[in-house]
Amino acid sequence: MMLDYFFGKNIPGLSGSGNLSGQLQAWAMIIQLMAIGLGAINLLQVHFRQVSRKTNMAIYSAWFIVFFAFLLLLGLYKLATGVELYPYTWVFANVYTSLGATLYAITGFYVFSAAYRAFRARNVDAAILLIGGIFVMLANAPIGEVIWSGFPLLGNWFNNVGQIPGMRAFTVVGALGLMAYGFRALIGKERGFYSEAA
Amino acid sequence: MGVWIILDTKFIALLLLIASFALFYAYMRLAKGGMKIKVRTFPAVAAIPEAIGRAAEMGKPVYYSTGMGQGTLNNQGNGPQTLAGISILGYATRLCAKSGVKITYFTPIADSLPLVEETMRTAYMAEGKPDDFDPTTAINFQNEQSPYLTASLGWIQREKPASALLFGGFYYESVCIAEAGNTIGAMQIGGTANTHQLPFMIAACDYMLIMEELYAASAEISGNSDVIGSLRGEDILKFLVLISLGVGIILALVGNTSLIGLLKV
Repeated sequence: MMLDYFFGKNIPGLSGSGNLSGQLQAWAMIIQLMAIGLGAINLLQVHFRQVSRKTNMAIYSAWFIVFFAFLLLLGLYKLATGVELYPYTWVFANVYTSLGATLYAITGFYVFSAAYRAFRARNVDAAILLIGGIFVMLANAPIGEVIWSGFPLLGNWFNNVGQIPGMRAFTVVGALGLMAYGFRALIGKERGFYSEAA
Repeated sequence: MGVWIILDTKFIALLLLIASFALFYAYMRLAKGGMKIKVRTFPAVAAIPEAIGRAAEMGKPVYYSTGMGQGTLNNQGNGPQTLAGISILGYATRLCAKSGVKITYFTPIADSLPLVEETMRTAYMAEGKPDDFDPTTAINFQNEQSPYLTASLGWIQREKPASALLFGGFYYESVCIAEAGNTIGAMQIGGTANTHQLPFMIAACDYMLIMEELYAASAEISGNSDVIGSLRGEDILKFLVLISLGVGIILALVGNTSLIGLLKV
């Protein structure tokens, strides 16, 4: 894979979907898709267990199992006939997508409460963060420019001069850490994910 | 073709990568040979036993997640973060097994599930309590962010865990989970290398592993001298990068952009 990245276009037969690198990537994809089947089994195990133990969540788990079976049958029907039944698309468009969008929208409230805690000026560092945050907010909110035309300029300065270099420094050290981690994994020294580090 | 390869800046990148690997390896060998390397303690790692001890005292469970991580281990940026998170999970599970605390792991990454189950099972076995491991405490959500987040928020509200450990490649779920944990007063330790989630996690968590600290944490937990040696190599590399940055800035100021051109991939 590394050879493909560095010399793929220079060495004939190395890259491309039919060659070694492409084959390896296809295998990774196949394993990933098989794992989704394992994931489904895990979910069913978790919910069957709730039902069999008659916990206070058993009713929701039973509902999950019924709905899972219902959608699985609809999906298998589509696979067999090629016809997508209306309930299948209705559930996806009107239940799943709507709930997902709602959940994403409530993130705003969580950000508010996190920002409230972060912006309390308890020490000099937090006070600097608060001042920078106010300028950036006034630069982005239309009212900022109405109050004073310099707010967008100052806010953009905090964003482009104050924030970007710091974030790039984080990115560089993150990449170096990733290289060291990758090297340890390549030579078999990073085996914590088999609990050997414990 | 040979000349073309030499002129390709990707070839320079490969040479630098090999040199970096050589540096890591050299320090690993030196550390294994007896060279003393002092690693500063990560407060976030040092706080993990405290978080689990708190759960044991309160008789409450521990929440653990490695984040959305693009829904797969097969992702350049997030896969290694998930693996680093699973390394710390092994350590946390062992501490939980020792003190009889229930740990529940939430993930939307289906292909990480066999690894997670094996890691948790090994941790319980290492503590001599293989029967205490319950495979249904590792819950998967089929590569989907919203169900994973909904289940996490619901579980946190219902079970009120004493501690929440969030190590891995997080996306917008980080702020929701960490804030939900904060609402119920859980002790929270986080770690991610995703720059876009750092501010939220820093605001909501009690302790944080920032960027490469997430990868270094498992080395510190392992305590293996040769693994720790690679951290010294990483620090030397950081120093070299800083020097090249300084030289690049000076050269660019006098109108010479050759170093920038050489390192551009």
